[in-house]
Amino acid sequence: MPTETTIYDDVRNGMLPAHIYNDAEIFERERRNLFSRAWVFVGHESEIPQPGDYVTRKVLDDSFIVVRDEQGQVRAHFNMCLHRGMQVCRAEMGNASHFRCPYHGWSYRNDGRIVGLPFHKEAYGGEEGFSRKGATLLPAPNLDTYNGLIFISMDPDAPALVDYLGDFTFFLDFYTKQSEAGIELRGPQRWRVKANWKIGAENFAGDMYHTPQTHTSVVEIGLFREPKAEKRKDGNTYWAGNGGGTTYKLPPGTLEERLRYVGYPDEMIERMKETWSPEQLDVIGENGFMISAASIFPNMSLVHNWPMVEDGEDVLPFISLRTWVPISEDETEVYSWFAVDASAPDEFKELSYKAYLMCFGSTGMFEQDDVENWVSLTNTAKGAMARRLLLNSRMGMLKDGSPVVPPLDSDEWAGPGVAHVGYGEYNQRHMLERWADYLEDDVPEPSRPEGMGAVRMTPSAAAAAAAAGECDGGETCESEPTTEGASS
Amino acid sequence: MTLIGADISAESVLNRGATQARKVGRSLSFGDERHLALSRWLVEEAYTLDDQRYEDWLESIAEDVHYLMPVRVTTALGAGYTTSPGMAHWDENKYSLSRRVARFLTEHAWTEDPPSRLRHFVTNIRTFETDVEGELIADSAVLLFRSRGDTNEAATISAQREDVLRETDDGYVLARRVIMIDESVLRTQNLAIFL
Repeated sequence: MPTETTIYDDVRNGMLPAHIYNDAEIFERERRNLFSRAWVFVGHESEIPQPGDYVTRKVLDDSFIVVRDEQGQVRAHFNMCLHRGMQVCRAEMGNASHFRCPYHGWSYRNDGRIVGLPFHKEAYGGEEGFSRKGATLLPAPNLDTYNGLIFISMDPDAPALVDYLGDFTFFLDFYTKQSEAGIELRGPQRWRVKANWKIGAENFAGDMYHTPQTHTSVVEIGLFREPKAEKRKDGNTYWAGNGGGTTYKLPPGTLEERLRYVGYPDEMIERMKETWSPEQLDVIGENGFMISAASIFPNMSLVHNWPMVEDGEDVLPFISLRTWVPISEDETEVYSWFAVDASAPDEFKELSYKAYLMCFGSTGMFEQDDVENWVSLTNTAKGAMARRLLLNSRMGMLKDGSPVVPPLDSDEWAGPGVAHVGYGEYNQRHMLERWADYLEDDVPEPSRPEGMGAVRMTPSAAAAAAAAGECDGGETCESEPTTEGASS
Repeated sequence: MTLIGADISAESVLNRGATQARKVGRSLSFGDERHLALSRWLVEEAYTLDDQRYEDWLESIAEDVHYLMPVRVTTALGAGYTTSPGMAHWDENKYSLSRRVARFLTEHAWTEDPPSRLRHFVTNIRTFETDVEGELIADSAVLLFRSRGDTNEAATISAQREDVLRETDDGYVLARRVIMIDESVLRTQNLAIFL
């Protein structure tokens, strides 16, 4: 069995030890060194538009209540009562001013502050025994947003999200900011696949090579005209900041003609022109590339395609966001959302939703064939022979490491990062190089856990409490009525 | 939560003129000829779907069909809804169903090559008259057993269905199907099947 060091060396060389796709020890390392630090997408502000709106989302095994508090601020509370650890919210979505633990009735405002503690005086001697003042559900160590996309990091010292995303924000805007109104999300559809989480993330990041083969059937039935092998290889793959993606080459034409070609109505095109930077517009209008699939390290993916949703010649674009939530080394829960520009015309929203359902998600005709491959790969990666095989992931690179085709120059590519036309596995290698960097870098021993109420506050809890504002109502806080049922 | 197909169908933005038929009165007697005819229709359909004879299946579906399976969500008791607002797994018309069937008929629908072994168990059938002339409603419970290959465990899908069946000269056709799946998180790799 290869040592860990050679695993990372091989990965950096584009030769992938096959067992990394089904290995309990590797998964444990991902848990400890990667998901403990990286920014993980959990949802979008449009899912919780009103005060009290919440969704529960997971970062690996940890459940968070992602909620908009009464002041309109988005927060993420660790979904565990401070007392005996029961989940204080067992629904996956809803609206609540308070979350009440069903076990002993402790209750918390939607900003996390504890307000109800039955028999506080008799059982604890009041504030002398358990100071409710400043006590909150444990906040997520770090929470940040970009274009309304909500991310959590388990690392209190994580870099700012915008710095983590880096130049990928240039491309993220194509998906999530087609107008000043931003996007609205629907869903997610959720389903579990017996496949390792990395496979989907790599596939969306850069695998243009699979499209003509895996997705032959959707071209044959007239759903999508683009994936034919000849067309697919004219697109490019780009990597910028902490993400990368694939594009299609558009037919000659102006910016407007090219956006119309993928099905955008003129009023949406006008808003894109007002919203995107000259460089962003040039990627489409001058360079002739249209974004398609992409991934942000480690486990968020995006897709933008333009199928035919009705009989005839017209195509219509859709956008989908998703996360590959790891369950174990051989199982992943897919969360797949439909996204659409909030100011798009109603008819566009309807047909775009239709396009999403036909192509991606739990019933999507692209998706169906993808998952079949990934499940099979994961099964095969489990055995002893997989430990003897290095998968060749060096496409686009000669033996001396130089590229098969040179990167696009600044006349050909107005975007940041590096882009190569044609088939290559540059982005898959970028994803796995980052993966190796995280896995090799052991996190320090965890800091002492935090407690609330009876013990001296730790600095981060104190900061969270200060941010929440203190409960000033004394005993009256306790009798605050609870509302709709997250509390039931 | 009681499944009222007309309401769920009407909430979808893709309901383009599908029937709004609603149940009227108590369920038909199990000896009623209409009940027997609808029961037979559902059993025949189950065999058609088990055999993946999807072209035959399409012929039993009305041109204006709405075939809908909302995403289920876990909500608190009293929240008033158990489906994800505006999101379904299937929200189909005849055209999109026909594209799905056409795909299975190509030689490149890899997810079903080799094919799954399917068994649709259909039970708890009850039938109703409706407020629309020539249309009846059939409720049923369906359990799909799906086995693929020889490595992974088989998947099961449990759901309730409310179907509107319309009488035509060639027999009954499916005019609306609302499927309430019993899981919020599907435990099958995809829905490359029909319920």
